[in-house]
Order: sequence, then C-alpha cells, then structure tokens
Amino acid sequence: MIQLFLQKFKESTLSILAIALFLTGVGLITLKSISTGHEGNYFQQSFYKQLFFLLPALIVFLIAFFIPRHTIHRYIYGLYGFMILLILIPFLGEEIASTYRWIRIGLPFGFQPSEFAKWIVVIALARYLSDHNLEMNYFSVSIAPIIIVLIPASIVLNQPDLGTAIIILVPVLPMLYWIGARPFHLFLMVAPLVSILTAFHWLSFSIWASIMVYVIFKAKPNLVFSISTFFGNLFLGLLSPVLWGLLKEYQKKRILTLFNPEIDPLGAAYQIIQSKTAVGAGGLFGKGWGQGTQTHLKFLPVQESDFIISVVGEEFGFIAILILITLFSLFILRTMRLAYNVDDRFSSLVLVGLGTIFTAHVFVNFAMTVGMIPVKGLPLPFVSYGGSFLLSSYIMVALIMNLSIDPKDY
Amino acid sequence: MLKAANLIPQKRLIVVCGVVVILMLSLIFRFFYLQVYYHETYKQKAEVNRIRAIPLNAPRGLILDRNGEIIVDNYPTYVLTAIPGEMIDKHKNFQIISKSTGIDISLLETNYKKYYRGKFLPARLAKDLTFDQLSRIEEHKQELTGINYMQFPERYFPRKINAAHILGYVKEVDQALLKELDLKDNYLYGDLIGWRGLEKVYEESLRGEKGIYFVEVDAYGREMGQSPDYKKENPIPGKDLQTSLLISLQQMLENLLDGKRAVVLVSSPKTGAMLAMVSKPDYSPDLFIGATTVNEWQDIISNQDKPLLNRMTHGLYPPGSTLKMITAMTLMEKGKVNYSETIYCSGIYELGDRHFRCWKEGGHGKMDLEQAVTQSCNIYFYHLVQRLTLDEWAEACKSFGFGEMTGIDLASEAKGVIPNSTFMNKLYGRWGWSKGHLLNLSLGQGELVVTPIQMMQYINIIAMHGAAPTLHIAKGNPKISSSINHYSHQNWNRMEFFLRKVITSVHGTGKRANPGIPGLIIAGKTGTAQNSHGEPHALFVGYGKKDNELVSVVVLIENGGSGSETAAPIAGRVFEFLFSSKESMKLAFSS
Repeated sequence: MIQLFLQKFKESTLSILAIALFLTGVGLITLKSISTGHEGNYFQQSFYKQLFFLLPALIVFLIAFFIPRHTIHRYIYGLYGFMILLILIPFLGEEIASTYRWIRIGLPFGFQPSEFAKWIVVIALARYLSDHNLEMNYFSVSIAPIIIVLIPASIVLNQPDLGTAIIILVPVLPMLYWIGARPFHLFLMVAPLVSILTAFHWLSFSIWASIMVYVIFKAKPNLVFSISTFFGNLFLGLLSPVLWGLLKEYQKKRILTLFNPEIDPLGAAYQIIQSKTAVGAGGLFGKGWGQGTQTHLKFLPVQESDFIISVVGEEFGFIAILILITLFSLFILRTMRLAYNVDDRFSSLVLVGLGTIFTAHVFVNFAMTVGMIPVKGLPLPFVSYGGSFLLSSYIMVALIMNLSIDPKDY
Repeated sequence: MLKAANLIPQKRLIVVCGVVVILMLSLIFRFFYLQVYYHETYKQKAEVNRIRAIPLNAPRGLILDRNGEIIVDNYPTYVLTAIPGEMIDKHKNFQIISKSTGIDISLLETNYKKYYRGKFLPARLAKDLTFDQLSRIEEHKQELTGINYMQFPERYFPRKINAAHILGYVKEVDQALLKELDLKDNYLYGDLIGWRGLEKVYEESLRGEKGIYFVEVDAYGREMGQSPDYKKENPIPGKDLQTSLLISLQQMLENLLDGKRAVVLVSSPKTGAMLAMVSKPDYSPDLFIGATTVNEWQDIISNQDKPLLNRMTHGLYPPGSTLKMITAMTLMEKGKVNYSETIYCSGIYELGDRHFRCWKEGGHGKMDLEQAVTQSCNIYFYHLVQRLTLDEWAEACKSFGFGEMTGIDLASEAKGVIPNSTFMNKLYGRWGWSKGHLLNLSLGQGELVVTPIQMMQYINIIAMHGAAPTLHIAKGNPKISSSINHYSHQNWNRMEFFLRKVITSVHGTGKRANPGIPGLIIAGKTGTAQNSHGEPHALFVGYGKKDNELVSVVVLIENGGSGSETAAPIAGRVFEFLFSSKESMKLAFSS
C-alpha cells in the first residue's frame, strides 16, 4: 500500500506542493518577524500555533491525496449536506466578535467550518455538472448549479462573512464557462448584482448602463428579452437607493459591516492608509526582517492574518512581492493547465473550481492590502496565520495533485 | 459517471488563464506603483510623519443619590508616558524629568518596567501630575523625545459619606487581568474597570465608550497637531447611576455609628429600594485610588475590627429574638397555638438535664402569645416551638428569605446557614442532637447564622405581609421580583398588632425606637444575641408608617449589649430623621 502511495505521489505534480511549502515558509518567517520586538507572548503564539498546525495540515493532506477519485465522487453530496449542517452550528454557539463563524469544542482554538465549505461546494458542483449531460446553450440549466452555491453562500453571508460567501459563489462562473456556458448567460447572472452595487455612484452606474447596452447588443438575443433585461437591471439599480433609505439604522449598519467585517475601532480608512504606507515605505528591497517600523507600530490589528502582505511588503520589498505573485500565478496557471489535460470531466471541473478559489483569495487579499478594493476579511493562502484555512488550503493542494493524475487503479 | 470525457476547447483555457494573468499583472503594477514609483513619498510619510492614534478616555458615569446629589464624581488627572521606541536616551530623559519635577527616578524606572507593553506603545511613568510639574516638563520638551502627558479621569469622592462597601472601587486593567477579560469587551491595558460593589455590578453602563483622535508626529515623536486625514471620534461618557440612597441619612448614620462595630440598613419595603446602608468600621472610598501609603494599608489590614469586611452582606450573625416572629407565625398558621393559652414563665425551663433561661431573671409570670412577643419571653417560645419539627421550622425560615442570597445588586453576598435535620445529622450524627437544639435555634441562637441584608428582607416581608420586592440600590432596577410568602391575611394583621405592641406597650422591649411623632406607627422587634465574642449583639428590626409611606430598619450593634437599650434608639433616630417634617419626608420618598 505504501508502495502504491509512493508511486501515486511520484506521478503527481510535485511543483504544486513545492510552491505551497515555500509560501508556508515565507508566512512563518513573517510571523516570526511580527513576534519579535513585542514583549507580550501573544504574537509569539501566532508563530508557534501556525507551526503546530502544519502537522494536522500534513495529515489531512495525505488523506485527501490518497482517497481515490471515485470515492470522492460518490460521497461528495453526503459531505455537502453534512457541511451545510456544520456551517449552521456556529449560530447555536456563542458570538465571537459579533459573528457566528466559529465552532468551539473545548480546544484552545476555534474551528471555522465555512473554510471547508469552499472546496466541498466546488466538488459537489463538479459532480452535478459532470454527471448530467447538460445542454449548455440554455440558460435554464444554470439554475441548479446556482442553487448549489447559493445555499451555503447565503448561510455564510449571515454569519456574517462576505469574504467567504464570495469565495463560495465565484467558482460557479468559470466552471460553467469551462463546460460551455455562453458568456452572455454568465453576464446575466452577474448583472443584477453589479446594478445594485453601482447604483450608489451615478458615474459608475452610467458606465455600467453603457456596458449593458453594448453587451446586449453584441449578444443579439430577441428584442423583448433585450429590453426587459436592460430595463429590469436599470430599475433594480434605481430602486436600491430607495430601498436603502427605507432600512432601519441597525439594518444599514449590519449591511455596512459586511463590507468592513473587522472589529476595527480605528476605522477601515485608517487601516488602509497605514497598510499602504507600510508597503510603499518598503521600496524595492524592503527594510529587512524585523525592521518594519510601520509594522511594529501595531497599526494593523490583523497584520498576522489578513494584512500579512503589508508586513512582507515593508520588510522584504517589491522583489518579494513580485516573487510571491509570480509563484501564486504559476500555481494557479499550472492548476488550470492540469484541468485542461486531465481525462475526465469531473476532475477537470474540480481543478478549475479550486484554481478559482486560489485566484480569488490571492487577488482579494493583495488588492485590499493596497486599497484597490474595500476591506474584506480574506486571508492569503499558505502565508496568512490561521489554522482552519491552512488545513483547508493543504486539502485543496492534495485534491489538485490527486485528481490531476491519470486515473489508473488509484 | 466518471467516464464523462473532458473535451474543453483550448480557447476556454486561454480565456481563463488570461483572466488570471490580467488580475495578477494588475496587482504587480499596483505594488510597483506604491513600492518603486512612489517609494520616496511613502518612505517620508513613514519616517517623518507618523500618525499616532490617541485614545480618549470616556469619563465614567457618576453615582448619584436618590435626589441627584453626587456620591462619586470624576476629576481629571495628568499622567506622564514614555514611548520606548521614540526615546533616544532613556536614562537621560528620566534624569531630566526627575530633576525638574521632583519625582523619584527609581519610581520612574519601576513604573516604566511595570507598564511596558511594546516598543511603540506609551508606558506610564507617573500619575497625578500637577500643573507646575507639567509646565516644567513642557520647558524641556525639546530634549524629552518620546515623553508625553495625557489626561486621565479618575474617581473622586466629595467626601460627605464613606459608603465604601457599597460603592466598591475601580482598578486598573493590568497584564494578568487582561488575559481573563473577554476580548469583545475591548479593555485596554491601563483602563479602569469596576472591581467591587456598584462599580462592578454596573460596570457596563458606567464605563462608557472610548473615543480616538489622530495626531501627526514628527521623527522625534513631537506632536504636530491633529491629523486632517482621519476623523476624531469623541468618547461617549458612561451613564450616570442613580441610586436610591439618601445621602443625608447615610451621612447621619455614619457619624452616629462612628467607633462602633455595627450595621444599619434602611429600606423602603414597597419597592425594595435601599435608603441607607452603613457597615462600621469602614474606610475611605479612595483607599484604592493609590494615594494610600503602605502604613495606612497596614493599619487597615491589621485592624482587628476588619474595616474591609462588608458586614451588611458578608457578616454572619445569630439573629437572636428578632427571629421569634417566624416561630409565632408558623404556629399560628398551622393552628398549633391558642391565643388565650398561657404559659407560666419562672425564668427557667428544664428540658431533660438542661436548663434554659429567660432573659428576665425571676421570670415574666403568666404569658400569652401577645405578651410573649411584646416582652420577648423565651420560656413561652421554648414550650411552644416543641410543637414544630426542626424541618418545619427550617422551611419557615427559608420562606422568609434566610439561607438564600437576597439578590441585592452588589457583587456578592453570603448565604448564611439555616440548619435542618440533614444538616444537624451531618454535624452531630443521627442521634447526636435533640429538641434542645431546636429550642436554641428558634431563639435565633446556635448553629444558625444570617446576614443583616437577609434580616432587611425578612422585615420587609413582614411589613408587606408576604410580598416584598427584591432589595436593590440602583434606582429603576428592572430586576424586581417579589418573594412571596403565603400566610393568611388574618395572621399577618395579628403579627403586625403584636409588633406594634412591642413599641407601645408598657413592658414592650422596643419602646426606645419610638421618636413619638404624631401619626407615625412603628412596629418592630428587638434582639439580644449571645455570642462567643463577649457582650451580646444588640439587634432591632422594624418598620414605621406614616401618610402611606413605609420605611424599614435593621440595626445591629456588635457586642452592643441589649437590643432594647442600644439598638432600638438608633432605629428611633432613623424614624425621627425621616418622618419628623414634611420636608424630610419629601426628600426621602419622592421619586
């Protein structure tokens, strides 16, 4: 059995694992830097805790790597149902930082089931899309996949955790596209959301309206459909500020905290400015390990998890950032390439979904650190501090390696 | 179904990978822009202008008496802080501070170590700086990099009353405490937290919410003014706590009891609101603020009279004869007493080979229930209590609130002990105790102990004929639940009649509790509780009524001698204070 395992391991794409391990190492070095210069032992703990979590991460990696793909395929719906129950459980437990993300079972750390929802949803979706011979030219076939992602996403959104909800939602688009969905249909799915979001800024809304006209014109559906789509979205957009005005103050606050989930008495703007200053001050080569003054001013409350890149940027400079982004890109492109090459549709879809999850995480995390997008509480894979996410990331690495091998006997 | 073949057009792979590449390139451009193109700007920003976030402490809510008079106030003090990472020469800085302000350099060093929390976080060096000291530090500001001062609101007591046991105190959040506190509550190192008494119970509403403002600081740590980039958030002051206490009554009683070991409690039975709560000896409430010297501390700790002990809620006493109403009520309610039945009191009662004595040598002579209550005859109760079992009696005590916490809004209280047969079996063995113990217990002596605050609730239950709201100090306390004792209306009235006789009858033991105010009706009971510490404790429980207003009083003087001679007059003073004029009644009862 061990021999079989080793054989499987040899045939898998080891570069994926190598990149993951390297990035984990970068994360640990950075966590260690954050801990130096502070007298308290809390920050030291995040380094050692992360180190400690590598062991369970390795174990789940091996398990996820060794499970045969038909087993994964067979049990994924059951796992999906179990996961839905699991993400409902935190609502029964105590509120942590006014959210319901954590399950506590008497261990010194909490456990965040929504982390695992990300890849479970992708696999369940992959099974649905590969089991049925879907006629992708019709929009109606997209309804079931959307329901599969919407159920967990809406539960997670209520926790409230916008970041994770987005990560659960996003893979459905490239996965549908991958098996032949028409881009125009994907556009229709996204359009209402964009209409609502842009409605609060008249210039964005006008640009969006022009884009809609262009896309609908290019897609050439029938006239009634075109007009109803366009004006439906326009109406939705115009209606949303009105609806917003009708909301109670606490309801508004609740929605706004979705966009700024960190309990942050200093204000999100302050955090972003400090983070940008830290990154900018790092320059080409950085200030050196443990030398970041902005970092050590403790201006960033979540610097060891969501804002770890600002520490890397300040202490190791643009070169390090460039290397990190390149490595992540290689990792993701490699995954997509494997998805293209693999023989069965199920594995291919899983790989595309997982690749999308990593892309979304990496992009959102880097982008928010430098103020390109509003603050969302999303950690950087392998680098950020966080036990559940580390475990989840290594499971995803194992799945990519596992499913990309030509299916023989394993 | 794994056989579904994977036939993906290459175009789709190119599009997906293209999107990934575009996203990643946009990130690279953004970082390049910040880190290389605009590096100089940010470098200067980081090095020359640091933004320092300065928390603005919210003033704690005040504690007020029932008429809005301030019991606990705030006043601003100045603290001196040092930011370790910004100090160029720590030792030189401390020398300058010490020289110009006269603060001992070793104190600065100790505090610096004690309050150090990180390279760029202010550590407190000294407290309570005077304006003179501040101006001297300001003179040397150029040399003193990293040294700052800020305002810090501290508790201040206008000094009219002590009431230290009720008010409690605040303490500074330190390293050890910070670990225990819930992160959610957002306490920072050096914050004040209510630690005892009302300060603790009402911490959440008293503390308020911190504000924050941002100042720009130059490379030397000098403040360059408020930063225009960030909005200042003003602190939200804590809510004032209005108590039901009557500060003038409290003051009168604290003075009256000075030098004694005593408890006096005054409440309004209708609402459960406390009007005065005195536990003597006490201490000044600013004992814990830090102005106390080691010697003063030693005095208080080594004081045999234990001033730190809150006798009201944690003092355990035998209630003595004040407990006789329970026996009498239970006998009446169970129909085990005949009102015309008399017992002859010769001053001594024999049970087996034990002798039980009445407090009156030579005895009271013939006694019925009314006379036995008014003159507090022991012999009568020795006879009659034998018609009850120990458990019946213990159950009755529980229904008057003994053996349980009263639920008053103080951080903690003792439960006391009400022995029942299980308790006695454990203590003495199945056959080790007898009726003789019950005789003793029914007179409020022996294994039973109660707290004064329980006695307050007890007399309130009697005054309210069974339904008394939970005792409380904060006005408008929403947690008012009634303890209900179902005895017949007739028996409550009869009991009230007896208790009024205690005050008005010629032989009544409570005569001295009557200030003789026209229209004022007083009912009460004295007690003289034997104990192992010398003279008996003097006790009085009772209530007074006038113009539909009701006030109850508990007086306990440790080793004070006879309840009738020592405790009852103090209750008289309370009734006099509250009922003597329209004005005094208005102050005490208007809500």
